[in-house]
Amino acid sequence: MSGSIDNKHALNYNVLMKMSTRKLILILAAATVICLAVYFAYVLLAPKGATAVIYIDGEEYKRIDLSTAGKPYEITIETEFGSNTVLVEPGAISVSSADCPDKICVHQGRLTHAGVPIICMPHRIVIQIEGDKVDAWS
Amino acid sequence: MRGVKRLALMAVLTAAALIIFTIEAQIPSLVPVPGVKLGLANIITLVAVYLLSRKEAGLILLMRIILGAVFAGSPSTFLFSSFGGLLAWIVMCFLKDRIVESRIWLISVFSALAHNLGQIIVCVLVVKTPGIFIYLPVLIASGIITGSFTGFAAMYLIRAIRKIKL
Repeated sequence: MSGSIDNKHALNYNVLMKMSTRKLILILAAATVICLAVYFAYVLLAPKGATAVIYIDGEEYKRIDLSTAGKPYEITIETEFGSNTVLVEPGAISVSSADCPDKICVHQGRLTHAGVPIICMPHRIVIQIEGDKVDAWS
Repeated sequence: MRGVKRLALMAVLTAAALIIFTIEAQIPSLVPVPGVKLGLANIITLVAVYLLSRKEAGLILLMRIILGAVFAGSPSTFLFSSFGGLLAWIVMCFLKDRIVESRIWLISVFSALAHNLGQIIVCVLVVKTPGIFIYLPVLIASGIITGSFTGFAAMYLIRAIRKIKL
């Protein structure tokens, strides 16, 4: 085991080598915090929306007006990739069940705002809410 | 180390990577974001890069991805993990001689970032919805955290295996 700094190529990467481990960890931690802050800022600042759009394999499959949805109802989407059941409620949309292995789309919960979409990667389904107006940004 | 011993070590590492990959696939994701996972099988790839060679590590990775798709995944999982895994391996190969051995964990951070970046690119190409890029900051953050974790695991494993003198 050689933990010494006599690696012959190491000199080329002085910046990474000269930095103390403490400094490196601080930089990485800062990067992590900044990334998470950007993400949560985006989630929190996203405008509310009433139109949900379901895309399958990049193409628009269905457009649902969530404000006019009276009783909650379910849509089952069957494709060559698999099956997902989408629950439409007044003001919200979610995936209630899916036959994919990871079930990430189900765990993503209810979508009420524009911004972050629900994704089922194995089944190539994306559910997104379109913002009513982008006034929040101006 | 050469000949049969080398072959045996490659087989053992492939088997270990496959087991880790299969078990990890059964653990439900803590964060409901597609692509966020521990990436524990990457420990083996990094160990192989140091104990064997870059080429053999690439072969082990390839076998793990193919067999992993057979045992624990679907064709689409194969697409995502192969592209991400390949990028991670390229980064490892590139950094191996450029970062001192006491900082192997740093290589893991960069390769985890490469893996996540590759995965989101494939995802955007497959699903054809650029809105997915909003997950990029989460994937960078998770790459740094999981990459450091698996990196330290790989570093201590490499030290331990070297002590055995295979």
